[in-house]
Amino acid sequence: MMHFLLLFSRQGKLRLQKWFLPLPERERKKIVKDMTTMVLARKPRTCNFMHWKDLKIVYKRYASLYFCCGLENQDNELLALEILHRYVELLDKYFGNVCELDIIFNFEKAYFILDEFLMGGEIQETSKQSIAKSVEASDMLQETMEEYMSKPAF
Amino acid sequence: MPAVSKGDGMRGLAVFISDIRNCKSKEAEIKRINKELANIRSKFKGDKALDGYSKKKYVCKLLFIFLLGHDIDFGHMEAVNLLSSNKYTEKQIGYLFISVLVNSNSELIRLINNAIKNDLSSRNPTFMCLALHCIANVGSREMAEAFAGEIPRILVAGDTMDSVKQSAALCLLRLYKTSPDLVLMGEWTSRVVHLLNDQHMGVVTAAISLITCLSQKNPDEFKTCVSLAVSRLSRIVSSASTDLQDYTYYFVPAPWLSCKLLRLLQCYPPPEDGAVKGRLVECLETILNKAQEPPKSKKVQHSNAKNAILFEAISLIIHYDSEPNLLVRACNQLGQFLQHRETNLRYLALESMCTLASSEFSHEAVKTHIETVINALKTERDVSVRQRAADLLYAMCDRSNAKQIVAEMLSYLETADYSIREEMVLKVAILAEKYAVDYSWYVDTILNLIRIAGDYVSEEVWYRVIQIVINRDDVQGYAAKTVFEALQAPACHENMVKVGGYILGEFGNLIAGDPRSSPLVQFNLLHSKFHLCSVPTRALLLSAYIKFINLFPETKSTIQEVLRSDSQIRNSDVELQQRAVEYLKLSSIASTDVLATVLEEMPPFPERESSILAKLKKKKGPGAVSVNELEEGKREGELNGGGERGGDNSGIAASNASTPSPSADLLGLRTVPPVTAAAPSAGSLLVDVFSEAGVNDDGFLRDLEPPTESSDSLLAEGSGDSDSAPPSAVSEDPAPPLPESNELLNKFVCKNNGVLFENQLLQIGIKSEYRQNLGRMYLFYGNKTSVQFVTFTTTVTCPGELQSQLNVQTKTVEPLIEGGAQVQQVINIECLTDFLDAPLLNIKFRYGGALQNLTLKLPVTINKFFQPTEMASHDFFQRWKQLSQPQQEAQKIFKANHAMDTEVLKAKLLGLGMALLENVDPNPENFVCAGVIQTKAQQVGSLLRLEPNAQAQMYRLTLRSSKDTVSQRLCELLAEQF
Repeated sequence: MMHFLLLFSRQGKLRLQKWFLPLPERERKKIVKDMTTMVLARKPRTCNFMHWKDLKIVYKRYASLYFCCGLENQDNELLALEILHRYVELLDKYFGNVCELDIIFNFEKAYFILDEFLMGGEIQETSKQSIAKSVEASDMLQETMEEYMSKPAF
Repeated sequence: MPAVSKGDGMRGLAVFISDIRNCKSKEAEIKRINKELANIRSKFKGDKALDGYSKKKYVCKLLFIFLLGHDIDFGHMEAVNLLSSNKYTEKQIGYLFISVLVNSNSELIRLINNAIKNDLSSRNPTFMCLALHCIANVGSREMAEAFAGEIPRILVAGDTMDSVKQSAALCLLRLYKTSPDLVLMGEWTSRVVHLLNDQHMGVVTAAISLITCLSQKNPDEFKTCVSLAVSRLSRIVSSASTDLQDYTYYFVPAPWLSCKLLRLLQCYPPPEDGAVKGRLVECLETILNKAQEPPKSKKVQHSNAKNAILFEAISLIIHYDSEPNLLVRACNQLGQFLQHRETNLRYLALESMCTLASSEFSHEAVKTHIETVINALKTERDVSVRQRAADLLYAMCDRSNAKQIVAEMLSYLETADYSIREEMVLKVAILAEKYAVDYSWYVDTILNLIRIAGDYVSEEVWYRVIQIVINRDDVQGYAAKTVFEALQAPACHENMVKVGGYILGEFGNLIAGDPRSSPLVQFNLLHSKFHLCSVPTRALLLSAYIKFINLFPETKSTIQEVLRSDSQIRNSDVELQQRAVEYLKLSSIASTDVLATVLEEMPPFPERESSILAKLKKKKGPGAVSVNELEEGKREGELNGGGERGGDNSGIAASNASTPSPSADLLGLRTVPPVTAAAPSAGSLLVDVFSEAGVNDDGFLRDLEPPTESSDSLLAEGSGDSDSAPPSAVSEDPAPPLPESNELLNKFVCKNNGVLFENQLLQIGIKSEYRQNLGRMYLFYGNKTSVQFVTFTTTVTCPGELQSQLNVQTKTVEPLIEGGAQVQQVINIECLTDFLDAPLLNIKFRYGGALQNLTLKLPVTINKFFQPTEMASHDFFQRWKQLSQPQQEAQKIFKANHAMDTEVLKAKLLGLGMALLENVDPNPENFVCAGVIQTKAQQVGSLLRLEPNAQAQMYRLTLRSSKDTVSQRLCELLAEQF
């Protein structure tokens, strides 16, 4: 089971945090700090896995963003790497050539897409088509662009 | 700002995010955020009712601010309101806010639960999924209580949409992990297992995580999943890469599901049914064969997915540990990966091989890769890979290759990364000891270790070399000679001085015949290091000096001169000064015979578990070897060393008849005696080594009645104030627990706060709180006198197997307590698995010069980790019946010790930590309780029934738990309470 998933920039700015276990705020901050310092300190072309406390850490860099997750001991590291990849693919499919800014400005969407894919730290659905379909479907339920533009800015 | 292309962007939100991004400084950001917070607050408080869109936008802004790392203390109510909106997007934002920010505000939880309940019964699949996600994200006990009954129904209902089934399965898993007692699978079991056959791959993928978790906890009930899993796996493995459509990932059919199936099978032994087993072996062979086929794509995703399955299959093969053919193939495959150009694969191969090394079928095959692994240790650029290589070398070490491996590890240590040095040192020390045939090699290795990595050599390591040298008289002369030589180095590590001081003090006589190491040369050599050393080392050296006076009378005047010098006898450090004064006195007044008796050679140490091994076990953190790995290491030691070691033993025994327990297996690996690994407190090193020896040092100084001097001599430690001290308080060994400590422990079974102990000097108060498997205890040490306590130290130890059951961490206390003052100490406790004994708290301090030493039991009992479980009468008796095996029950009939007052009894039972269930027992006089003990390893459900008999003034107490030891222990604890 995955314990957490973090997305942070090369400058260590946290862009998305998903916790699959309830943890006190202080502990979360500690983990974020440890992860960013550990991962950012890694040299290029080192392996994507580390041990940290009793967790396995799997991370991968996509352009300016690091995707980093903490796994339990019996979880499969290679597969976790592909979970990260599939999530990137899903974001890419939704935003079209996704970049860090998309995730900053549409953070709630990034969470919704993740929710379609993972739940409670386990894989819920691996099919790109199914996930894309349900995200699209929920977008259909939302207002039109016109409605949006006519709304006040504050 | 990018154009919002999809869905409903919220313009105000986008503007706000832009503003934040444009802030030039942290201060500007905070200013902007405060402005926004004020704005939102006024909108929420304003008279005008907000429309759904605005509410959503502001809630979303709050969420963004929270995710930036700022605290949010309002908006929860508005978010809850959004949940009941009919607009999907508003509902969705409301749920997102709750998932990220919910706190256990009970008022709010009730409202949230209401909204969830509505959505669950809405039959709108999108809404149902949102609600299920929220439950899984929050996963609190309140939610489990509200929904644990409903979700299994949704999961197995015929008309539930596939996407909802997927969410329901994982939601249920989450609740099962938080509150297993509330998720009753009973009637659903077989339908859940049959989800493995579901048409929809997504449903199987989600359901299998749930099934795996349930199988781990209830293997028997879910046994039928084995054959279903095998046939599903076989269908996937043999399918063409296009058969599974979108569930094929980069030409690999359903990698996630395949891995999950292989993981599920690891919950069970190999299938008994021949046909099923045959099919499974076929699958495993196919997976191994596919690894040899050329890749269908050059993409790394393809090879990762394919290898993920391969590694999972290898894990299963190792788990079965019964198919030599497959094991050897697995080992060869991993061997190939060891030299793969992908760093990730080399890392994983090293890691998997560690477990393979412990199988008797593959141990030899793993050993053939030794050169590659050593090479990895030397040349890998990535420290985490080198770490795995070091772990593997440790795991594959046996008598045949120990010298090579230890030598390689030692040479690696010279350049090793700081982060892993300490662990490497421990491993070298353990291997050197475990596989030492010739103890001069052992001594060389450890001294080398101190030379190369002295800073990382913990006390345990050098204590251990001394224990071994003392226990083996064939190596003592060699050890003395070697340390003597090592000390010649102009700059040698302080740890070397410690070992040198101790060994020359004991065995310097064995090399004194050589004029190059005459007594005076030895002394001068040691003393040349003295001024560079820390206080504890100096204290140890002073003890070595007094031993020299005994061993070599010719050094007496020189040493007395040294002791008499102002820098010793007036040293500002009390410990050093005291030693100098006492030793000087001892050397001048005691006769040679008395001196010889007092300073007799150390007797052999009792066999015990290696303190180093205990340390490695305790050491957690980056890259630490898990306890499991060590256990495996143990097995491996037996498998490989067993036969030959027997022979060695007898040889050594013969040559070493003078040593009482001449086992070569000094680590005590095979018969781990449950001895307290007395965690030596800081302070006086010499004494700690003594106490490790279990030597009673009563005779050391105290028995020496000063013949002529005034009775105030420092020698007589115990005089003066010692009257008030308990008799055991004079020794520096941790005192045995006070006779009343059990009684004191019992006082705290049903309460968490109070006074633990009190005598004329000291009062110890206690406050504690427990949550799940964690506890925190505050100890308050009050000085009741008007004189300060000095060198106040407390040590908490977990005797015997308690060490592996409880994890107790203490913060050190201030060593000085002023008269009338109180200091506080925090102790953190983690319950790893159920336990019987209580940890020991040893307290030592000096009051007016007299050493006080007392040991108490810390009132940590298994019931502290109870979580109450409410249940109805029907459920209670159903559970009661389920726990009907004779060993699950413990019962006691006993006489009442206190008045049989119902209210008092209730209060006590509540204090116990279980839920007191009303209207459950048909007899209103009786009490029944239910609770779950939370340990890290498992949860143990327990039920209690107490039947008072007022006439006879007797009670009958019955406990039933899923674990027999727990029932017994609870019964014992409770029988003392009523």
